Amino acid sequence: MRGVTRAVARLLALQAAWNYERMQGIGMGWAAEPLLGDLRASDAARHTAATVRSAEFFNGHPYLAGLALGAAVRAEYDGATGEQVQRLRTAVGGPLGALGDQLFWAGLLPGLAGCAILGVTLGLPGLAVGGLLVTWNGIRLATTLWGLRTGLREGPLVARAIRDSWLTDAAQRVGRLAGLAVGAAIPAAAAWLLGGLTGPAGLTALAVGAVGVLLARIRPAWFTGLRYGLLLIAAVALLTLTGLGLGGRLA
Amino acid sequence: MSEPSLAALAGVTAWATVAGVDLVSVPQGLLSRPLVVGALAGCILGEPGTGLAAGVALELYALDVMPVGAARYPDYGAATAGATVAAAGLEGPWAGGPALALALALAWLGGLSLEYLRQANARAVHRRAAALATGDPRVIGALQLRGLARDTLRSAALAVVAVAAGAALARAWPMTGMGSTAAAALTIGLVGAGLSGAASGALRNAGRGLRLRWLGLGAVLGVLLAVFR
Repeated sequence: MRGVTRAVARLLALQAAWNYERMQGIGMGWAAEPLLGDLRASDAARHTAATVRSAEFFNGHPYLAGLALGAAVRAEYDGATGEQVQRLRTAVGGPLGALGDQLFWAGLLPGLAGCAILGVTLGLPGLAVGGLLVTWNGIRLATTLWGLRTGLREGPLVARAIRDSWLTDAAQRVGRLAGLAVGAAIPAAAAWLLGGLTGPAGLTALAVGAVGVLLARIRPAWFTGLRYGLLLIAAVALLTLTGLGLGGRLA
Repeated sequence: MSEPSLAALAGVTAWATVAGVDLVSVPQGLLSRPLVVGALAGCILGEPGTGLAAGVALELYALDVMPVGAARYPDYGAATAGATVAAAGLEGPWAGGPALALALALAWLGGLSLEYLRQANARAVHRRAAALATGDPRVIGALQLRGLARDTLRSAALAVVAVAAGAALARAWPMTGMGSTAAAALTIGLVGAGLSGAASGALRNAGRGLRLRWLGLGAVLGVLLAVFR
């Protein structure tokens, strides 16, 4: 089938028109276009219907969306009904989202970011930042290409291919690496930023952090690091403007 | 600290725009991560250490974020660029505090701008619903490219605001007296809040299984590294 390279390139921009109406649907339709080219020549009416379907609602993980795209395009070429194609997209979207979030957002990303932070604190910033970008994008590109090819090969049987693939096992393994790397990066970053953990600044920051973790355990949906930070800024501004506290010992 | 040149500020603005587009649209290749944005912004400004420090501090906050589906999340790309500009222009050991405070406000603003972007994309799709139903690939392509253009505009506007705010903060913040004391409090408090964000995110991802033990082992190694290095 022609158009695989163009489709992979377009999958890199899958979410450019992300919206609450169709989520990644427009991006999926845009990525499907090069793959549906042969269908236009053989069956124009079917090509039109397939193009309409390709841009309908879709929500999955952007890096694994190639699996759903390939499977749907293969089903279109195999003569599946419109309803079957829609069902296929819906059926694989959810699991791909959950698996991709686990593998990439909750696993590989914090794992690599943790390693990069450690690299910076160890005095290797070029290697840390370069390694983060090269490793992530290498894995991401390879996964996108693998996903699209697997989807095109398996068609409606893609769910079985996903179940039997390396994805689930990789998500578990990468999760452990992420735990180790982030666990090590947090105290290392604090010490690097504040010049040590045992002085007044380091100990105060650790105490502030511990309170934040406690609050986040109590109200996990609301108490993000960003909101905690914004509350602290408001507190410091209030104390400074009213002239209370902040006697200058911290400096 | 010397004032950055206009060319350097323009370079940081361009870089922050690229980072903003990377976050959601293309190529989603981690160019928008604070550590990456800070490292390059610092190099552009001739202050690589400052950029790395801003990047590491904000990376702690970014580790708390799961950019899933329809969730609203902060945009730390332009925020890190603004923080690097501010920190590079401020004197003293606590220059990071005001810069981090600015970055958090910018990250929140960036999250809000993403919300507007998604709504604008939805309105565009709604307007072209009849044309989409005809199966014309050009309609899909136009919607996709206009979405990309909208995000580029959003990112550029956010980058301009971030860099301008960073430069203004560097000029306006007094690093003496109460200004210095507040900067110290902000530095320590906001690094602490970043630690809580990263730790909360790590605990949430770890759950109660084997990964939690790996997280604990990592924390022990990190503390040993921090104390004995």
